[in-house]
Amino acid sequence: MFKRLLVQVVCIALLNLGSPLVAQAGLIGTLQAVEAGTRAEDLATVNAALARDQVREQFVALGVEPAEVESRVAALTDSELRMLAGQVAEAPAGASALAVIGVVFLVLLILEAVGVIDIFKKFP
Amino acid sequence: MRAGRAASLAASAAAFAFTGCAAPGPRLAPADPAAVPPRVELVETPFFPQRDYQCGPAALATLLVAAGIPVEADALVAEVYLPARRGSLQAEMIAATRSRGLLPYVVPPSTQSLLAQVAAGRPVLVLQKTGVGPWPGWHYAVVVGFDTVDERIVLRSGTDARLEMSAARFLATWDRADRWALVAVEPGALPADPDFARYMQAAAGLEAVGRHQAALLAYETAARHWPTESMPHLGLANLAYARGDLASAEQGFRSAIERAPGDAVARNNRASVLLGLGCPAAARREIERAATLAEGGPHEAAVAFTRHEIDAGIGPDASGCPPDPAPAHSAP
Repeated sequence: MFKRLLVQVVCIALLNLGSPLVAQAGLIGTLQAVEAGTRAEDLATVNAALARDQVREQFVALGVEPAEVESRVAALTDSELRMLAGQVAEAPAGASALAVIGVVFLVLLILEAVGVIDIFKKFP
Repeated sequence: MRAGRAASLAASAAAFAFTGCAAPGPRLAPADPAAVPPRVELVETPFFPQRDYQCGPAALATLLVAAGIPVEADALVAEVYLPARRGSLQAEMIAATRSRGLLPYVVPPSTQSLLAQVAAGRPVLVLQKTGVGPWPGWHYAVVVGFDTVDERIVLRSGTDARLEMSAARFLATWDRADRWALVAVEPGALPADPDFARYMQAAAGLEAVGRHQAALLAYETAARHWPTESMPHLGLANLAYARGDLASAEQGFRSAIERAPGDAVARNNRASVLLGLGCPAAARREIERAATLAEGGPHEAAVAFTRHEIDAGIGPDASGCPPDPAPAHSAP
């Protein structure tokens, strides 16, 4: 019984590391309450402090200025960090359609050249 | 241009092959014509042309300036742009909105919700998936207008100050990005057609990153608009606790419990505050109820921790301890 309590206490202490949302042990944050019903269970098992470190490392690896990494990580909530941890490199990142249009044009051009399609009729 | 036309012809042909001869139905026309006007365009919405791959900062600047926050797209690059990804993450678009004290409301994934925001005067940041097969392309743009009769959507997009496209084309790209859409709502205001859970998620996010004043306004607004919901009262009480006002916090948690007697979080937090108020006996009664309610749930460990704290503070209540929440409501 005591062992179980000790484990729970240590878990909570770890979860709260680096989490500004629980001002003092004992109170459960509003966001935790709001998200309890909506989040997938596996998210809750990811340690927030660990997720924070992972996202920090990924931001540096993806070219974010070291001076800006801290404030960017601090602007994210625990659940956003958990969601991003390990997948900053794959999550959708809105950029520009231009590169893609170029690729599509190239593919069409090659298909045209080898005679699979015939859409550029104006050109000889 | 011809290639594009040929491609869209091929696409239409394919669509016909699958749908037979049925004409495609209206895409924007609302089920309830009174819900949104047939034609809206927020012509006052500013425009920031994107540079390189930086459509994220440009679209975000459009949204924030329209919401009254003076900001330059270039200043947002350092906040939301990932150089090696040549793009911006949705979570960071939300975070940057929050950092300016605005409520980042993620719009429900329906066309009608999207149009309702624009009709209410708020431009909507949207994510579009434009790529093909192994070359996915993601793009942020801002919806500033629509026409439900002609089936058109008007955007601030990339380097186009006013990009008008068919609803079908827009919806195809928006669908593929899981219909993600964001509005920046001034705290104290409500988005059009507000969804309680989405609103609270955004409000609690403000609290979580320390924007307490904005969170306070948002919780108060939610408490007025959804008077039977407990969560806004929980939020107000947590804020009261954060500024050291234990008496208000206790009352707030009590308001939450009265609305949701089975809420283990409100009971756990009230118990903790009661202990701080010098009322260990009342705290003990409350934490016992919380422990029963939290069993097997996501807050079980946190409640066990509070209980442990309360067990350490044995003693009688000081005089003037608040009574338990009304018994008619307190049965779990």
